[in-house]
Amino acid sequence: MKSFAYATASSPAGARDLVGADGRYLAGGMDLLSEMKEYIAQPKTLVNIKALPGLSKIEPGSKLWSFGANVTIAEIEDHEDIRKTFPALPQAAAEVGSRQIRNLGTLGGNLAQHSRCWYYRHRDTLCLKKGGDLCYARHGDNRYHSLFTGNSCISPVVSNMAIALAALDAQVLVQKADKTLRLTIAELYAEAWRNPEAHNSLEPGDLILKVEVPVQNQRSAYLQMSAKSEFDWALVSCAAAGRLEAGKLSQVRVVMGAIANVPYQVEAANRFLEGKALDESSADKAADILLEKPHLFSDNGYKLPIARALIRRTLLQLKA
Amino acid sequence: MPGWPEKRDYIGSHHTRVDAPAKVTGSAKYTSDVQPEGWLYGMILRSKWPKAKITKIDLDKARSIPGIKAAIVAREGERTVRYYGEELAALAGTSRQACEDALKVIEVEAKELPFVVREEDAKEAEAPRVWENAPNLSKPSVQEKGDVDTAFSECAAVVEGFYTTPVQLHHPLETHGNTVSWTEEEVTAWSSTQGITSVLDDAARNLKVPANKVRVISEFMGGGFGSKFGLGVEGGLAARLSQAANAPVKLMLPRFDEALAVGNRPSSFQKIKLGAKADGTLHAFELESYGTAGIGSGNASEGGGGGAEFPAPYIYTVPNTRKKQSAVAINAGSARAFRAPGHPTASFGMESIMDELAVKMDIDPVELRIKNDPSEVRRKEYRLGAERFGWKEKYKKPGSSEGPIKTGVGCAGATWGGGGRGTKAQAQINPDGSVEIRCGTQDLGTGSKTVIALIAADLLGLKPEQIVVRVGDTRFPPSGGSGGSTTTASVAPAIYDVCMKALDELQKQTGVTDARGQNWLAACKQLGVNPLTVSGQWQEGLSSSGAGGVQFAEVQVDTETGFTRVKKITCVQDGGLFVSKLTAESQVNGGIIMGIGYALYEERVMDKTSGVVLNPNFETYRLPGLADVPEIEVILLDMPERGVIGIGEPVTIPTASAVANAVANALGVRVSRIPITPARVLEALSKRTPVPA
Repeated sequence: MKSFAYATASSPAGARDLVGADGRYLAGGMDLLSEMKEYIAQPKTLVNIKALPGLSKIEPGSKLWSFGANVTIAEIEDHEDIRKTFPALPQAAAEVGSRQIRNLGTLGGNLAQHSRCWYYRHRDTLCLKKGGDLCYARHGDNRYHSLFTGNSCISPVVSNMAIALAALDAQVLVQKADKTLRLTIAELYAEAWRNPEAHNSLEPGDLILKVEVPVQNQRSAYLQMSAKSEFDWALVSCAAAGRLEAGKLSQVRVVMGAIANVPYQVEAANRFLEGKALDESSADKAADILLEKPHLFSDNGYKLPIARALIRRTLLQLKA
Repeated sequence: MPGWPEKRDYIGSHHTRVDAPAKVTGSAKYTSDVQPEGWLYGMILRSKWPKAKITKIDLDKARSIPGIKAAIVAREGERTVRYYGEELAALAGTSRQACEDALKVIEVEAKELPFVVREEDAKEAEAPRVWENAPNLSKPSVQEKGDVDTAFSECAAVVEGFYTTPVQLHHPLETHGNTVSWTEEEVTAWSSTQGITSVLDDAARNLKVPANKVRVISEFMGGGFGSKFGLGVEGGLAARLSQAANAPVKLMLPRFDEALAVGNRPSSFQKIKLGAKADGTLHAFELESYGTAGIGSGNASEGGGGGAEFPAPYIYTVPNTRKKQSAVAINAGSARAFRAPGHPTASFGMESIMDELAVKMDIDPVELRIKNDPSEVRRKEYRLGAERFGWKEKYKKPGSSEGPIKTGVGCAGATWGGGGRGTKAQAQINPDGSVEIRCGTQDLGTGSKTVIALIAADLLGLKPEQIVVRVGDTRFPPSGGSGGSTTTASVAPAIYDVCMKALDELQKQTGVTDARGQNWLAACKQLGVNPLTVSGQWQEGLSSSGAGGVQFAEVQVDTETGFTRVKKITCVQDGGLFVSKLTAESQVNGGIIMGIGYALYEERVMDKTSGVVLNPNFETYRLPGLADVPEIEVILLDMPERGVIGIGEPVTIPTASAVANAVANALGVRVSRIPITPARVLEALSKRTPVPA
């Protein structure tokens, strides 16, 4: 990797000052260090944010849970009360990498991680996302790529946690310059829909501080399909959350991962489920709406049937 | 005539690996652990172009990076590189970072040339040529026996299919590499190799150093699977760097490089037609195939057997056959021998179409095999395996299991020659009773040291722990390469010979009539000060060749997501006298797990636009993980009367075929391309003719 300066921050404002325009924040380092080793990221400064006060805590609440950005994925996976309140979160956490990675990887890092597109990650292809002028995947091997995109890059978002958190209506607190913004998951990724070079809406120096999840939906679930049983990226993932009263669904949110540049949700599909009975037929109709007008490239068509199956299976898990 | 002892305490036992403590505690030193005084890191600059004329490589800036002690070009003068990853230059420095920094500033002038990286593109007449003087598609080798056309017309059933297998990468967990120290006195290479003697020979010739001034050491190594027989380009560069820097150079390849330039199993595209008489007897067979061995011609390569051709109709005898096999060159790294070269490829096509025939003729696939398999041993293995696996209860009509998650079963057979001869060994009996066996073989992790210790213990009436086994040094008596399942059959008889001679000599010198066991210490004491050393060698009659083996697979396939899970593999494997059961079973497990990788996950992916390997890592070049490994039942058929026979290769051959047949049985439709990915399962299902309601 390229040489860099290293500093440890003791406050979010201090971190912002240290990181400058060309620096990166270092928490678990799972994604950042591998990008640096491949010379995909060449930050001038690494700012260690592991010691920032208050960012490593999970704070339960009756109306709102707060998760510090430095909470590890393993902590979310293991937390007994999260399992009861937000089952989708530990389900999504348990599918992140390997246990070793989950022990180090943080919630903030998981949300801010970059594309896994094999052209983006390859040291010798200068793709659109890295500032080149060609999306190799469009013309090449796109078996892992998006069915939905708002720009000419077709690499999908791969954060498991983002998919589950989007279904749960979470908000992300981001320090931007001297302000703290409150973003929905959709807003956190909106830029990736528009801009081929963006992985998310964060700009240099922006720092994820916390994630807040409202306790409003009784039920939630996350499922993913990978090529291998463990330690593999999702080919497609799905999270759903909602209320189920007297057999009827309400406030349902279905979110798909690994099929779009952003956590993919279609309001019409969510609306359709309002007041519907939770059964295969309503799930399949919601899937029809959600998966309407996909971009089928040479190798990614198989994701459609998987997505349909996952939507049905995830929604049916809300019964449990 | 020598013979293995009737009473065997350790030979054939499940004794723990003798080097297990060293491996578990980390005291075992692999090539990558060796750190001779003053050693430097070595690194290679590889071509970023799939094909280019290289006109100039300027190393001046690289040499000026602090810590860089040597920089060399891989080959002098103008040259053409023909694949992404071909070696251009190398350098040695005091830190990994110095080397990386220096690699970045090497200036290469190149003229890019047109390239082709996919078999189906490369075989077209207008495709860019990999080699200017020859078309990419080789002239097919054609073999014909009997009257094929007439024979097909005489068949009661004829089936046709098109089967493809991917380029598979060896990916040994220890990457390729060497630590080389080249001084005035000697070249010493600590080498991760399957053949210390072939590395020595390679080094002596390529470095133009007399063979008596080269020493190769490989005390522990982490797998090769056929790709580690020579010094390799990386070894030659390490040696030259060591000479230039006047210091030892350690050059271990990064995982990335393993996908580029150190071998692979050729792909195959097989069009097969098979016909049988009404009673199921195979009558006519036709094959047209091509595959790629990269820039290689498709003929045998380093280590032998790296070509794109494969045996057909594999283990079956068909009276009328026509075969037409070609190789197609592409701009990618050359193939090398890969665990049972040709066989898993051959097995996949043939065993797939055997099941197609069984379905068409409504014959049980096991019965069809027993009817047509010329090997008596394998027929016996099918019967035994079917019983243990529960084949009769598990085999159902294809696609007939209920629900979206379907189960299926399949089977397939293997054959392998093996054999092995020529090993020499030395035993040293010390006056304190301790024993050292020295043999210039190498233990790839398969258990060769354990094999040696168990044999010596039984023959001398000692415990394996009393024997120190030293291998992996060219100063020991020569053995030969460890490949082709020949190591145990070559080594074991030499150990027998040297132990018998040592015992004989000890008894002669000391007058003790039976020095074994309880009398050992007293006898050794009488040696006085000097130890007893004895040489021995491979003897006829203690080992032989030829193994079969059959495997049964049970799978679960999710028809909505395309996900395949292997639930169980049952393996029945013959192998003569099994010396070390525990490590033999471990070999079987490893072979099966590798076969599952071939069936479900592994595939080198080339990018047609950039010419790079897209998956040079374990993220998208997937290997089975623990959670993907099924219940594995291993049944070893002891045939001690046959002597020692290696089983490293046959145990990996039929796995993918059995899994693919099980998937076809589960789905009622065949996925005729491996790896069987979710995408391919779903594609096959979408093409299935819907059953009328």
